[in-house]
Amino acid sequence: MDIGFVLTQTVLTFIGFQACYFAIAAIGLNVQFGFTGLLNFGQAAFMAAGAYGMAQTVPIFEISLWWGMFIGIAYALFLGLLMGVPTLRLRADYLAIVTIASAEIVRLVVRSVEFQDTFGATDGLIGYAESFQQVGVDLGLNSTADYGFWIFTFSGRDLWRLIVGWSLVAVFALIVWSLMRSPWGRVLKAIREDEDAVRSLGKSVYSYKLQSLLLGGTIGAFGGMYFAVGQAAVQPDVFSRDLTFFVLTGLVIGGVAKVTGSIIGPMIFWGIYAFLDSLLRELVDKPVRIGDFTLIQSTDIGAVVYMVMGSGLVALMVVRPQGIFGNRKEMAFDGR
Amino acid sequence: MTGPVRGSDVQMTDRWRLHRRRVRVVQMMIGLLVGLAALAGLAAPASADGEAIRVQVKDQQRTADGKTDNQPVPGVTVTVVDATGAEVGSGVTDDKGVVVIPVPGKADYTVRIDESTLPDGKALSEQTPAEQPIAADSFITATRTVNFFTGESQRTETGTAERWLQRLSDGIRLGLIIAMCSVGLSLIFGTTGLTNFAHGEMVTFGAMVAYLFNTMGVHILLATPIAVVAGGLLGYSSDRWGFAKLRARGVGLITQMVITLGISIAAKNFFLWRFGGRNQPYENYTNQVGIEIGPITITPRDLITAILSALVLVAVALTLQYSRLGKATRAVSDNADLASSTGIDSSKVIRLIWIAGGALAALGGVFRGLDEEVSWDLGTILLFLMFAGITLGGLGSAYGALVGGFVIGVLVEMSVLFGVPTELKAAPALVVLILILLVRPQGILGRSQRVG
Repeated sequence: MDIGFVLTQTVLTFIGFQACYFAIAAIGLNVQFGFTGLLNFGQAAFMAAGAYGMAQTVPIFEISLWWGMFIGIAYALFLGLLMGVPTLRLRADYLAIVTIASAEIVRLVVRSVEFQDTFGATDGLIGYAESFQQVGVDLGLNSTADYGFWIFTFSGRDLWRLIVGWSLVAVFALIVWSLMRSPWGRVLKAIREDEDAVRSLGKSVYSYKLQSLLLGGTIGAFGGMYFAVGQAAVQPDVFSRDLTFFVLTGLVIGGVAKVTGSIIGPMIFWGIYAFLDSLLRELVDKPVRIGDFTLIQSTDIGAVVYMVMGSGLVALMVVRPQGIFGNRKEMAFDGR
Repeated sequence: MTGPVRGSDVQMTDRWRLHRRRVRVVQMMIGLLVGLAALAGLAAPASADGEAIRVQVKDQQRTADGKTDNQPVPGVTVTVVDATGAEVGSGVTDDKGVVVIPVPGKADYTVRIDESTLPDGKALSEQTPAEQPIAADSFITATRTVNFFTGESQRTETGTAERWLQRLSDGIRLGLIIAMCSVGLSLIFGTTGLTNFAHGEMVTFGAMVAYLFNTMGVHILLATPIAVVAGGLLGYSSDRWGFAKLRARGVGLITQMVITLGISIAAKNFFLWRFGGRNQPYENYTNQVGIEIGPITITPRDLITAILSALVLVAVALTLQYSRLGKATRAVSDNADLASSTGIDSSKVIRLIWIAGGALAALGGVFRGLDEEVSWDLGTILLFLMFAGITLGGLGSAYGALVGGFVIGVLVEMSVLFGVPTELKAAPALVVLILILLVRPQGILGRSQRVG
């Protein structure tokens, strides 16, 4: 077994592309879930909105890629209103159910044959990201050459998307951090703690909740946009219910209602994932059998890793529900 | 590297159609193979006799391990007419399900099968309608082979009324299963406030336990009660060593909800690991012939599971309405504090709800597995429909889950009739969900309360 390989994979995934777009989505989810107490279980739908907004530009609408940002934001706002308007006056559970259902429907719509000409069905969309990659080349990053030192060696294309991604993370972290220190942000936190008290102070709780949902959803859409340009292809099944759950897992590992938590959490999530995955792949090079009973073979590794991650989430929630950076008091809300 | 997605997710929501589609593909392949084999084997003798049309009638069956096992259908009357409609010849299939009808030459013909001579309960499959045209240039050798397949519920749906009734019957079956599965989900929410995202996995668990015993040689009639007991035990232990402890420690509901998310991810992937990504049928009652009740074709298995589900649901409703326990359950679900102050032991009631909810979910899982096939994400797929159902019926309301789940099941199946693509037939459930929340957020049977 090559432990060096396992550790290299872990470190590279820790700062890698997935950790990056997860962090953007988690910053958005944190606005809704962590700061306002909204149970958005459909962040994957917002990410899909952003990703498809970007991906549709060149192949479908035949316009410049950069318009995709506006399309993605428009999609995300539409989704947010669709989810929020009927539910935000009600108990928190309703939003949870509607968001989880909407996310599933969004995925079904973009993968359906009916809308193949608009969303590309199961094949998804490709051939739109050239102008994004071109910017990197124009800035002097040769897409085939390697840059970096020691294990941190990236191709120009990888380095470009990592620079853009972590810059986006920094920008959104700064925006959210300053917003949450503003009076507006304090109202959100107050809503999480005691909605009725806020209402009695004359604030429109509904309106604040809707703003929070839309802001978080739009940041989530930027996560999706970044995924779309970084990956240069979108497929519908990326945006499954599990995506939301894993973003949420990342967020609670880091700690809710903390901007640092929403960045470090997804990195740790992917670091652990990469560690377990590459470790198991090194260990299980041939099927492990006990008599006739096949315990594990290489095709099982994905499922086993996710099983361990799920159990880990349960254990973490029991032992330390506030996550690594969180404050226990800020995870005590009931949402009823 | 495209994020946390596995290939097996791809088929998630298409599972409803998957079975039917697979049967269709298998049929086409069999048709092709049989045709080729017949051509290869019969080319020599037939060419000596002059031109003929060889008609084979076969009944498509599947063995317990899922392999196709076609049986010949004897005694079926077949007629061949020429392009002008004049009869060229006719015959009756022999023990091998074969009849050879000589024809004057290579020309256009139509082969007609007299459906009334098919054995009782058999119907022609959709791929091979009762009339099949034969083009002159399709005589590659002197003998042209035509295949007719029969099978269960593969009848062509023609009349509008017939399609409506058939869809309605499918919808009722789905609705009954959803209602049965969501009773626990709704009551657990009503009594503890917990939205249990792992409830879908409790449904899968039931189907899996039954499958496990079934493959060890236990008949499904015995494996089902075992699964139900196991589901009840799972519910008991989830509460006894899980959520009751968390409640006692004062863990927030949101934290508990995230815990159920974690359990859902872990359990689902455990099933994927141990069961694999493929669907598997139970070993008993797999190949049944549909019986016709009026215009509806239904297999005895599906009919019996539907009747049993209905009986179970009626029993649940009666228990809730009349028994002391049922009344206590409704009281706790309505207002836990008030119920406690009247002397109801609410933690005991909650324990019982977990047990009953787990057992019902397991039974629903087995029925769903019989209805479709067992798959690792059988319950996960149903979860969203269950949520839609209990919201429609009224979150936490005891009867709401029964009514709402049933309505959603019927709605999902019937929506196809209104031009909703089959892939998107779950979408109307969401539309209904949103409309309900806008118009009547407490659901059909829920109690109105001050919100927002």
